[in-house]
Amino acid sequence: MNSLDVRGLSCPAPVVSVKRALEAGTGELRVLLDDGAPRENVRRFAEGRGYSVQEEAVAGGFALTLTGAGTEAGTPALSVQQPASSRGAVMLIGSDRLGDGPEDLGRLLMRNFIITLLDLNELPDRMLFLNTGVLLTSEGSEVLEALEALGNRGVEVLSCGVCLDYFKKKELLAAGAVTNMFTIAESMLQARSVVRL
Amino acid sequence: MVRDGDYVAIFNSVHRVMEAERLLKEKRLEVRLIPAPRALAADCGLAIRYSESARSEVEGTLAQAGLMPRVLYRKNGDDFQKIEGEL
Repeated sequence: MNSLDVRGLSCPAPVVSVKRALEAGTGELRVLLDDGAPRENVRRFAEGRGYSVQEEAVAGGFALTLTGAGTEAGTPALSVQQPASSRGAVMLIGSDRLGDGPEDLGRLLMRNFIITLLDLNELPDRMLFLNTGVLLTSEGSEVLEALEALGNRGVEVLSCGVCLDYFKKKELLAAGAVTNMFTIAESMLQARSVVRL
Repeated sequence: MVRDGDYVAIFNSVHRVMEAERLLKEKRLEVRLIPAPRALAADCGLAIRYSESARSEVEGTLAQAGLMPRVLYRKNGDDFQKIEGEL
């Protein structure tokens, strides 16, 4: 059984690491993590994807064993266990506004859109923020709380490093991680579908 | 996005809710413009969320500016309890 140690990482990094490990086809995964939010978020995420979760208190935290529904422990067949619909969609957010028109309306609609995603069952795999889109992931944004909640449900939030640099927000990234054009281009080409906002 | 005990003020026009947000933010009050929770099915679809601690100042500011919400709810557990307003 593969294992993963995410102790000491703050949310949503534990969920993102677990998601990657599960998607890499690990049959059964043992995750060492901190009690509190990481433990709750990873449990909720794994159960939401149909895994059974066994918990065990260990020194310095908790160990969660994630086993795919209907698989025997150790059988590396999880790629077919995961709901296909929740994988492979990439959302490209190239602006802090949604639609053409008055700027304040566009900003309001974009905030509204991102917060509304929290009510949906099917979420994108990744959200890529480009150009003024990075204003949504950096300090002062109104959607940081929503992006953190999305991260805890396994959505990878990635912001373009060049764009953060341009807006002098490099040190002010407050949701998700920084990425580069290579990853952005690769994610888009490998995605099952790309939703461009 | 709405925690237990939070207030959700629903407005009847997008212009009013944007004006209310601008005014409250100007006063540095802890408010957030959010999509109206689906359970409340408002026509306009927008609401302002605030906590108990900000309540009196938020509502005082809105009343003074003539920007009272159409209806006000408070989140209690899984439900929204109507505090004020029509319907």
